[in-house]
Order: sequence, then C-alpha cells, then structure tokens
Amino acid sequence: MSTSEIPNLKSLLSSRRGGGFQSRRGRGHNNPGASTENIEAVKDSVVQSTDHDAATSRLSCVELGYLDDPFAAAFVTPGEPMSRRLPLLNRGTYVRTTAIDHLIEKFLSTSPSSPKQIISLGAGTDTRFFRILSRHGASINLVYHEFDFPAITSSKVGAIERSPTLSSLLTTTTNPTNAIRLEISDDKTRLTSERYNIHPIDLRSLVDTNTPTTFPNLSKTTPTILLSECCLTYLPSATATSILHTLVTTILPPPTPCSLILYEPINPHDAFGRTMISNLASRNIYLPTLTTYPTISSQRRRLKDAGFEGGQRAADTGFIWKEWVGEREKERVGALEMLDEFEELELLLGHYCVVWGWRDGGPDGAFTRAWEGIEEQVGDGA
Amino acid sequence: MSSGGSDLDKAIQQLRACRPIPENQVRELCYKARELLIEEGNVVGVDAPVTICGDIHGQFHDLMELFRVGGDVPDTNYLFMGDFVDRGFYSLESFLLLLCLKVRYPDRITLIRGNHESRQITTVYGFYDECLRKYGSANVWRYCCEVFDYLALGALVTGTATNLEPSEAPFADPSSQASMPGLDQDIEIETLNSNGEIMFRFARNGEVSQPSQAASAPSSSPLVDTPSRTGPSGTGATSSSNGSRGNDGGAVLCVHGGLSPLIDTIDKIRLLDRKQEVPHEGAMCDLLWSDPDEIDGWGLSPRGAGFLFGADIVKCFNHKNDLSLIARAHQLVMEGFKEMFDSTIVTVWSAPNYCYRCGNVAAILELGEDGSNAGFVRRANGDAGRKQNSVLMERGERGREGPGRRYRVFEAAPQDSRGMPAKKPVADYFL
Repeated sequence: MSTSEIPNLKSLLSSRRGGGFQSRRGRGHNNPGASTENIEAVKDSVVQSTDHDAATSRLSCVELGYLDDPFAAAFVTPGEPMSRRLPLLNRGTYVRTTAIDHLIEKFLSTSPSSPKQIISLGAGTDTRFFRILSRHGASINLVYHEFDFPAITSSKVGAIERSPTLSSLLTTTTNPTNAIRLEISDDKTRLTSERYNIHPIDLRSLVDTNTPTTFPNLSKTTPTILLSECCLTYLPSATATSILHTLVTTILPPPTPCSLILYEPINPHDAFGRTMISNLASRNIYLPTLTTYPTISSQRRRLKDAGFEGGQRAADTGFIWKEWVGEREKERVGALEMLDEFEELELLLGHYCVVWGWRDGGPDGAFTRAWEGIEEQVGDGA
Repeated sequence: MSSGGSDLDKAIQQLRACRPIPENQVRELCYKARELLIEEGNVVGVDAPVTICGDIHGQFHDLMELFRVGGDVPDTNYLFMGDFVDRGFYSLESFLLLLCLKVRYPDRITLIRGNHESRQITTVYGFYDECLRKYGSANVWRYCCEVFDYLALGALVTGTATNLEPSEAPFADPSSQASMPGLDQDIEIETLNSNGEIMFRFARNGEVSQPSQAASAPSSSPLVDTPSRTGPSGTGATSSSNGSRGNDGGAVLCVHGGLSPLIDTIDKIRLLDRKQEVPHEGAMCDLLWSDPDEIDGWGLSPRGAGFLFGADIVKCFNHKNDLSLIARAHQLVMEGFKEMFDSTIVTVWSAPNYCYRCGNVAAILELGEDGSNAGFVRRANGDAGRKQNSVLMERGERGREGPGRRYRVFEAAPQDSRGMPAKKPVADYFL
C-alpha cells in the first residue's frame, strides 16, 4: 500500500471522537474528510461483516463435530439458512481454533491460582470466554476483555441477553463474588462484570495517545495475553503497529508480563496468495499487514520489534495440524467428513499462521514457562 | 433428439453458450449416452493422436478456454480423465456439453470416470445442489448419476509417437531459443503456453533446456522428478537401446486416480463390474482415488479412500503391462502437470485457478501419432521389447521409451467472460 492510500487517521479520529459509530453514518456537513470517511465507513462495515462469516464457520464446525462449543449457536441469527462449509474450511477453522485454545490453555494452567488477563482484539462473536469458563469453572482467576466496534459489541451483548444459557452463566459464574456489579450500558454496547468485559471501541482510537486508555476492570499489572484473530490484519500496518505500541506501553506498561497471539494470513506473493488478495479485494476486503509481514520470519521480527523480547514463535496452520494435533485426534477429525480437497487444503493451511511472542521480565515468567515446550516451525517452513 | 441430428447440434450450441438444456432433453441425452457407454469396456482403447485432459470441476469457461487452446471437437481427439463436476459453478453445463459431444462424436471424445462422478461426493461438493437450483428437482442429477455408473474406468492409448513433431511456433522468450535443443534432435517434451508459443523443449538424447523465465509458473518446474534426464545418455529416460525401435511410444494407461494393490494387470481392470456407484473400497475405488507419492510400496491415503503408491509400484506395473506411461489426474498441481518417477507417471490438471481460488495454471497433454509405421498398430500391453527392458528395470530405471509429450499450459479464462455469480455461495477464506 502506498502512503497516499493510507487514510488520514488524525482527521478521521477527530471527527469521530465521542460520536461513536452511529454518528459516522450522518453526513458531516463542512467536514473536508467526509468522502474519505464514507469510504472508510463502507470498509469498516465490510470488516465488521467478516465476523458474521467467522461465526457461521464456527457453527458449521460445531454442528459437524469438529469443535465442542455449545455457545456458537447463540451468535448466529436464529432461522438463518445454515450454510454448511466445505470440509477444507471446517478443517481450517478447527486448526485455527484449537491452536489458539492450546496456547491459551497452557497459559491458564501455569500457576492456575495467580491472576491472569486476556484482551481479545476485534473479538466479534467469539465464544472463547464462555468456553474457557465452562471448562474451568468459576474458580478460574481470569479477567477477559473484548474490544470491538460498537456496532459489533451491541449485537453481541444483545445476543448474550437473549440467550438464557449465556445470561445465566454471566450472572452466576462470571460474577461469583459480586465484587463488581454486572452491568450493561443503556445502548447495549458495553458489558462489565468481574470476569468478563466487552468494551465498545474502534481500535484505531488507540493510535491517538490522547485517548484515555483506561478501561473498566482492566488491570495494568496482571499478566495478559493480547489476542488478534484476523483483526489487526485489516488495518494499515502503521496503524496496527501504533495500536500494539499503545497496548504494551500505556495500557499494559512494562514490566507487566504480556504476550501477543496473532492469527493472520501469510505468503501473499505466490500464486495462491495473489489470488487470495484479488478475490478478497473484489469483496472490498483488504489485508494491509499481509504484504508488510509476508512470511512467518517477518512475523517473528514484527513481534520482536513490538517489544515481545521474551520470545517470538510462529507456525503456519499446516504445520500446526501436522505437529500439534495428536494422531488420535487427527483420526477423529479425519473421520468427520470425507475430505477430497487435499492439495487445496495444504495450500490454504500454508497461507495462515499463528504467531506468539511474549515479554516476561525474566526466565521464570509465566509465558516462558507456559509456552516453552510448544513446537514452532523452523525458518519460513518452505 | 437423434444422434448426429440437428437437435443434438442445437443442444450443443445452447450448452456452448453456457445455457442448460430442458430436463426432457437431458433425460434423452443421458439415455443415449448410456446406450453408447455400455458398449465400452472398462478400459477403452484409444488411438493416438489424442489430447489428454484432467479435472474440469464445473469450470465451464475454463473448459471453453481448453478447447480454444487444444482445438475444437471433432478436430481434436480428446480424452477426459474424469471429475467433470463439483466445486465450480457450472458442473451441469460442463458435463452435459461433454456428454453431448460424446454422443455426437463418439469416436472423437472419450470420457472416463473420476471420483466425483458419484452420488455421494456430488451431494457434498456441489453438483447435486446445482441441479436442484437450476431445475427445481433432483431428476437431472439422477439422470447424470446413472450415466456416471456407465463411464469407463480407464483408457489405453496406443499408436503414440516416441518423438514429437516440433511445433512450428515462436518461442515465448526468444532469448531462450539458443538454449533449447535444435530441430535436428529428437524432441521428447515440449511445453507451450496458451498462445501456442514454446516455453520449453526437451530432447530425447538427454539434453535439457532450462525453463525460460517466461514460464507462467517459475517457482518450481513440473519436471522436477525427472533428474535422470539430466544424466549422461543411457542412464535414464533417454535410453534408446529399446528393442522396439522405430517411433512407437508404447501404450499409455489413463485413469483418474491411480493404481490399486488389487490390480496388477490391465486385464484385471477389464474384469471389474463397473456399473455401480463408486464403492468405498476395493479395486474400482482405488483406481479413482489413489495418488502417487514419494514412498516405497503402498501407503494409506490421507483422503480416506484409495492408496498412495510409490515409484517401485509404478515401474513394476508399467513393465508388467508393457506401458510406457500412466497419465492420471485427481491432484491439483500448480504448474498444470507434473511428471514423476522418471517420467513413468504424469499428473494432468485442467482446471486453472481451481475453485477460483488456488491460482494454479492448467495443462493438457497431447500425444502424437506414430506416423513412421503406418498401418501397423502394435498390440496393447503385449511383450515386445520386454526382455531388454528388464535389464533396465533391474538398474532401477525406466522401462519403455515413453511417448513424445506436448503440454499446453493455460490460465483461467478472463474474468469478464466468466460470468461469475454476483453472490459467492461459500466463504472462501478465513476471516
């Protein structure tokens, strides 16, 4: 992306601040940035719609037995025609979800009683918090935060309210001591509780260091995982870098141990990658960081540069399927559907990666211990 | 609709425009096709010259591009190795057009069965839904599936020429011409782009010309598995000490997937009862599902059907059946074709930018006719030349001298001619 294509964030942000997402819909009269803003609003809504895609893919996986997630159905509109995904997409969703689960489980099970925090960027309708909760129960010492556009958080909070399972989980398990009152804002975009918090925020506002960077119930000192599952990749690289910088310096100031888990596409320069970029562009979806960090080596460097000095590891999802998934589980998953798209699956899995890096403040840190044995891919895996 | 009649020509015309024909016409077409196919053996005999094509997968506009690049029916003889349907948006139009052409020109086009020509697979991978969408009922799908059951399982191409008649065409990259073998040499392989320009040319005597930079897939050569070609004369595929001299390229077995541990001779394929849904296991299943792989002997297939088979299996099978080459499809190869195991087996893939996503190029394989020995058609899988070859086999090298092979590589039809549905039916990527 050339510099001229990068939208002027400053002007966008100044007109946006305080107004929230809704106000952007209104045509700003004498606003010189209006046309850019409208284009951006279209792009934003496209990016937001990618969450619906992810939610449907997740549900497809659950219904076929790939994933055990009783909460997935709550976030897909009831009565919506169920679109069953192709076997290779189900396989990919399975690998992506279980890989991140694995990293998070290792973290949660390291000194289980000590406090931990997870911040999920662009979480959308992700059900991970509820899955963790049902696995670990109320005793878990974890505070979970989700950041996303208000348009997304409001539909999520609405879905949680509508679902008896989720609301009862919230009132019982997530607020065991009632130390913090479970609260939902009037516009339904914000949810706060002892364990689980949904924050309506356009991540780009974090670029501006003048934005207040305190969030309800967010600890500045607890060891924290930052999670970006196909989120930062939709932003211009400079913006993504600034957001990360704010997160690891202001919101989680050193020496707070923190880590980043990324799930992003890679390898844009081969035939499959070029086709991916042009196909997504025809749907108005752009992945600016993909060309900035085209390989898993460049992703490792990116994490190091972002301050995750403790370690930077990466593997593409093809490697993860081969090396992380046990033989038994492979057999189980392999038996769920007949998969004929084998070469295509390898191509697809080779174009997504999981990257994880951390800042621990020492060799005894939580992340070093949690992730020491996890196998990564050597070099670029080519 | 009578065979050769104007109704059939009208149907062909309509399908060429990518417009489905009415249900009653489909019924009649399928009935005629079955009458024709029932007369074919499990292994159809095909005379060179012939153009061998791999998977199509409902990519109708790319099938039109294939005919543009390879020549139209009936001017060119075609052999399609299955997987006409599923995945692409126009399985129906693609399959019905090929079927119409088969009924109209039965001696000019051969269709063999792929693993997607099955009731079970088409319900998962799109053809069933497409028929339902386009006709409002599953009748057409049912008619087509009945035809699938009658498709042959393989084809045996005979009368091929060992050496190619060099194309009189410009080089894609004129500067590469100097490094290519001259016309005084016997040409074993030529690769042409979709404009008919020469990309590479390989001589039979072992001289290799390096792929030109103009190749559309520079990342890796599809000929990577033929290292012996680079060796001194007589050490590999280049042997000309073969007993059956002349210009006979030997028989070529065409099958969608590959070999089966239950099949050691082509005659055993002929004995199968093929007129049924593709079974989950057994010889017929293996022929449609198996893949060659860099292993010794047989291995389990990750696809859950068929097997993996190594170079030793192919060389032994080819020797025993007096084959010079196995041509198969079934696996996406980014460069459109891939020769393996000292050129004893080749994968041909004819769906460019597969699923509108993979970014691959496609290829078709032309085998020329042995003109040097007019009138003599050598016996299929007979034993001519076997004795000499057994020496080569023991040295772990290739048996028969293979046919001259001309690969035409082509890309997906231009986007604007493709008429893709505005609304994409599936999520293509992880978002």
